[in-house]
Amino acid sequence: MAGTEAPRVEAVRLSRFEQLPWRRIILIILGIVVIGVVGVGATRTLTLGKAEGGYSAGAWRDFVVQGTAQGAIYAMIALGYSLVYGILRMINFAHGEVFMAGSFGSFFFADAYEKSGFLDRDPILALAIVTAVAIGVSVGTAVLLERLAYRPLRNAPRLVPLITAIGASLFLQNTFRGFFGPQPYGYPKPVVLAGNITVLGVPVQRIQLLVLVVAVICMTVLQWFVSTTTTGRSMRAVAQDREIASLMGINVDRVIVTTFVIGGVLAGIAGVLYSLTFEQVQFTMGFKPGIAAFTAAVLGGIGSIGGAALGGFVIGLLQAVGPPLILTGFGIPSVFSLKDAFVFLVLVLVLVFRPGGLLGTGEAEKV
Amino acid sequence: MKHRRWFKAFALLAVLSVVAAACANDSGGGGGGGGGGVDCATVEFGCVEVGADEAINLGAAQVISGADATLGQDQVNALELALDHLDGTFDQKDGTLLDHPVKLTTEDELCSAEGGQTAGTALAADASIVAVIGTSCSSAALGVADKLLGDKGILLISGSNTSPALTDPALHNPFYARTAHNDRIQGAIVAEFALGADLGAKTAATIADESPYTQGLVGAFEANFEAGGGTLTGSEQVDSEDTDFKPVLRSLAEQKPDVLYFPIFVAACTLIIKQAAEIMPDTTLIVSDGCLSSDTLKNAGKAADGVWASSPDLSAFQTNEFYSGEFIPAYQAAFGSDPLSVFHAHAYDAANVVFEAIKKVAIDNGDGSLSIPRQALRDAVFATSGYKGVTGTITCLPTGDCATDVTIGMFLGPGWPVEGGKGDTTAKYTDTKSLDDVL
Amino acid sequence: MAASRWVRMGAAAGVVTIFLALVGLIGGFTDVYLIGDQIVFAGLMLVLPAFVAGLVAAAPRVEGGERHEMQLSEAMKAAAVAGAVAGVTFALAVVLADWIGAERIRTVFLNVSPQLMEFVNFGQATGPGALIIVAISALAGVIGGALRVAPRSVRRPVTAAVMVTLVFGFLQRVIPIALDQLKLERDWLYSPEFDGLTWIGAVVVGAVAAGFSVLNARFGERLRGGLARAGGQSGPAISPARLVAGLVGLALLLVAPLLLGSVISEVLGTVMVFALLGVGLNIVVGYAGLLDLGYVFFFALGAYSLALLTGATLNAYGIPPEPVISGHLNFYVAIPIVMVIAAAAGALVGAPVLRLRGDYLALVTLGLGEMVTVLVGSPWLVPLVGGPSGMRGITDAAIGGLAFRDPQRFYYLALAFVGLAAFISWRLATSRIGRAWTAMREDEQTADAMGISTTRFKLLAFAIGGAIGSLGGALFAVKIGSLTPASFQVLVSIQVLGLVILGGMGSIPGVIVGALVLVGLPGLLREFEEYRFLAYGAAVVAVMVLRPQGLVPNVRRSRELQDEERAQDEWAKAVEEGETSPEIATASGATT
Repeated sequence: MAGTEAPRVEAVRLSRFEQLPWRRIILIILGIVVIGVVGVGATRTLTLGKAEGGYSAGAWRDFVVQGTAQGAIYAMIALGYSLVYGILRMINFAHGEVFMAGSFGSFFFADAYEKSGFLDRDPILALAIVTAVAIGVSVGTAVLLERLAYRPLRNAPRLVPLITAIGASLFLQNTFRGFFGPQPYGYPKPVVLAGNITVLGVPVQRIQLLVLVVAVICMTVLQWFVSTTTTGRSMRAVAQDREIASLMGINVDRVIVTTFVIGGVLAGIAGVLYSLTFEQVQFTMGFKPGIAAFTAAVLGGIGSIGGAALGGFVIGLLQAVGPPLILTGFGIPSVFSLKDAFVFLVLVLVLVFRPGGLLGTGEAEKV
Repeated sequence: MKHRRWFKAFALLAVLSVVAAACANDSGGGGGGGGGGVDCATVEFGCVEVGADEAINLGAAQVISGADATLGQDQVNALELALDHLDGTFDQKDGTLLDHPVKLTTEDELCSAEGGQTAGTALAADASIVAVIGTSCSSAALGVADKLLGDKGILLISGSNTSPALTDPALHNPFYARTAHNDRIQGAIVAEFALGADLGAKTAATIADESPYTQGLVGAFEANFEAGGGTLTGSEQVDSEDTDFKPVLRSLAEQKPDVLYFPIFVAACTLIIKQAAEIMPDTTLIVSDGCLSSDTLKNAGKAADGVWASSPDLSAFQTNEFYSGEFIPAYQAAFGSDPLSVFHAHAYDAANVVFEAIKKVAIDNGDGSLSIPRQALRDAVFATSGYKGVTGTITCLPTGDCATDVTIGMFLGPGWPVEGGKGDTTAKYTDTKSLDDVL
Repeated sequence: MAASRWVRMGAAAGVVTIFLALVGLIGGFTDVYLIGDQIVFAGLMLVLPAFVAGLVAAAPRVEGGERHEMQLSEAMKAAAVAGAVAGVTFALAVVLADWIGAERIRTVFLNVSPQLMEFVNFGQATGPGALIIVAISALAGVIGGALRVAPRSVRRPVTAAVMVTLVFGFLQRVIPIALDQLKLERDWLYSPEFDGLTWIGAVVVGAVAAGFSVLNARFGERLRGGLARAGGQSGPAISPARLVAGLVGLALLLVAPLLLGSVISEVLGTVMVFALLGVGLNIVVGYAGLLDLGYVFFFALGAYSLALLTGATLNAYGIPPEPVISGHLNFYVAIPIVMVIAAAAGALVGAPVLRLRGDYLALVTLGLGEMVTVLVGSPWLVPLVGGPSGMRGITDAAIGGLAFRDPQRFYYLALAFVGLAAFISWRLATSRIGRAWTAMREDEQTADAMGISTTRFKLLAFAIGGAIGSLGGALFAVKIGSLTPASFQVLVSIQVLGLVILGGMGSIPGVIVGALVLVGLPGLLREFEEYRFLAYGAAVVAVMVLRPQGLVPNVRRSRELQDEERAQDEWAKAVEEGETSPEIATASGATT
């Protein structure tokens, strides 16, 4: 008789303790703490008198402008991350180095043009050539990366291409160090881009304005490209389902290369803008902006163009406005020394509450 | 079972390790034996035995690779010149000390604590090393190389460490000395200059970076500035790899400081000079020798006009006939360029101070060999008083500072005393202080 | 056409040579002697790409499901062409450089130095120099090709001989010291004048290596069977070569410091610290499959908590030296506390983030690492950890009178801890927890469906890995005796990840090998310090693309990583043996 009975499965009884929706409770508590800290910090900072280290309206305005300008650059680089992620579901860690490569490549031309005076005589043409060189080098680097490091690993487990990207990033950085040396090079800025310009009563640096305008144009063009052109639609198809897209006749390899090319173009332009803003190139210059842009892409919701753009500006603003607004109120010395930690904390919190990023679906994708 | 075997192997490994550790010999046992006079067998730290045909081994722990290589290489070059000059002339032929040739053993200290440990271990393990000239960077010495060598009684004397912590009475290692200036003096002179008639500043802000070198200077500046009646309006720290300093500067600009002091390194310093020109145009900018380089002038361009830089006043050396008439030409002849950095002369002096001390304490064993007692050597170096070196008169204090009277000059950009400096490159303000004058 | 393939390979090799020259690996090493005074490192770099091109050109190809072995003549032709083309490519670059003027190029590419130009032209004028390059490259290619088509019985010993000889040549600063300590003659082996191997020494070393290789080939199979029978194992038998290597390795690890003196022991001490970190990260990445890019978080946490618990003082100028939180515990009492703190921190920090998917997790852990770096150097925490100037006076882990800061003693202390950690790690791997991790790693969704609480196990991996990492940090603090934030950069996380990967994810011996290669070698070969991270990056990419299971693979992981390739190999083998037809299934879906 024993063998014919179905085994009894006892109902599992959860204790009261285990029944509570722990995750939600913790999230709510966390949310309250965060809002509390932010609120208290901000209020205290804003009520600080000038003498105690408070900031004037002009300072806040400047912080916002600076953050937005920096954010525009991050947004452009973040687009490259998002595009590649959408198609390949992998983070191209070496994208920061693609950015650096373009900038460095263009430096030699920019330097030569400045020495010969061409840069100031005909800035538009000179900058156009310089940007073209930057784009060329960035695209070249991106395509090489795809071909040599990523294509062989198309079907490998998730971890593998990620680690390869890190190795590639190290390799590229040190290649440029080996070629050109560890010291910073001064990047020239044409006279026409020096100085401020007043926009809506707000003094803005000319170069910052240029960065903003170019970034917005690029993003708009990209959005148009992806939604209307055939290639753009192919990209979206491959992003959605690679195998079916391939069955539908789309040359997946070519689409992937195109994606890297577009990312490279954006990175090259961002590289020139960045170098014009800071007037300096160095082999390490891709690392921090790369991480910031990567953070921006994830923050905004990776895989989406709007997300990358939004994320970029948010990160820029967080870096410039966050520490003074929230940390000064707590009497922390040298608030800007903590800006990187601050940004990452915000990232972690955002991901805790919205695992897909700000513009993501709100649900963590499991695989 | 296979598993049990591995378990046993691991356990055996752990046990053997501990046993082996207990039995491991201490590295580099003290020199023993030999010679009369001081009893080398019983005296603490023993003696260095230099055989009849052997060279006296002088160690050097300098940074000779990477981004800071010029700092260390410059000093190594100066040491080689010191060996050359043992015979009284610079003829690219080394002289002898007490009838023994001198050889240089150089270890790379990588301008970091880890590098300092590696270099220190290598040199401490070599029982024939008499003394070490180094390190280049304070971070390699502090608590690392100074301790490793000091524990073996090997004297470490630096030509470029400027961090106050190294000779702070609470932290000082008895076997450490330096001929380079203590940054407390430089920070104090900068503060004095800021408060003085030229600038008449009442308020100041500072920017430091993540290196200990900057901390020392900023700390000294702030202490002396406030003691002199000034008000510190802001004190920020940045990351030297960063590029966007506009928010930091804007934040400091709120309080409208008269002076901004940021003794950081070239890459970040150049960017701050350029960005500050736009954000705090009315604030006077001051930097120190970490930024005093031709790269800064080149990359900052016009923005460097009006930027003050503090540095040991080399003109004092220039008028020193030996320095400009013999040392510099010898350097150029031997190495094909002008000196790469500021501290070569200090390293040269450090080597000579050691040579003088060796002459005083070395015991001639009668058979051509020498015994150099370590403790006595250290004591002789610390007893140096009134020695006329290239960098000035050297008198060593018990806490290790041998550059007792330090002359710091303030140079006004673009007239900096480096390649690419334009116009008048003499110091617009100089002052000489000793450690007793400063906080 | 086949020829175009050879040309392309040669061209690629030529480009690689140009790269090596531009990056400085040729020009800077014209006086690093490997054998005698003829074989210099720069020369090796010059011909290596051509050699590899020849090797690859002569390799059998898989085309249309069939494996084409090359005929000897064809293979030689292929190799020669590939090598020659490599030489031509590089020679063209050299000629171009000479024509434009090396000085002008130097304003852009810093390494095009007179030294380099003289070396690549072999001291001749441009024309003859170029011809020599082509000839030498072609020769190198041919040698590579010959090696490839040689029968295995020839190839294996020759490869072994060459590799071991080169290793001996590279370790010219290490092995002589060992010989000296053992009071053995070394002048016959290492030239006192040029520092590299002597020709006699090279020949002897090569012959011995070749001999071992031949012995392994001859008797290897039989020994393997014998061992399997003797051990009564059911699992895959260890090859005798591997067993011997393992035992020798273990023995070397134990006696190395006694043999090699304190300078090298100091480097080995660092290797052991990183190996410890690797064992910890191996649990997180190798066992549980979580990509943690912020391992420096635990490293720093361990180092600083140990410092604070054992009474270290602050270095900062102008503030009281006692940190605001300070304990004066003994090292051995503090260690468990440090590990508990790290595990707790790991659990706390991991709880919200471990449910994120892999790529997000990578970024967040990277951020955590960055945060810790920022915090320990920040002005805000100066009263606690001393800011940029750091802390000093860290305990030397003394037991009674036995202190461990001496390089050799420290090495043994670290080795003991590595042994302990390895033991813990190995026990975990074979336990229920380890099996859960494997399930989670191979297919998370299924594991979840089977009732394995993935979050809980991930958290466990993170916490345990973190505890071991903090142990590494504590040892590091003891080793140096003082701490500065400069030692706790993101690069540490990447280095540890690199050594885990290189050695083989999930494999503990692999971690040790990885640490020896990636931390030990640069420490011993100080001339190459500047190229360390270039080599790291290249190594990581190469390993991931060519051999993702690493140098000393964990058998199970290799299977996972190479599933597809293995399937293909098995199918190809079946085709060879005639069990399957190479054609794809017929239209009706049936296979023959």
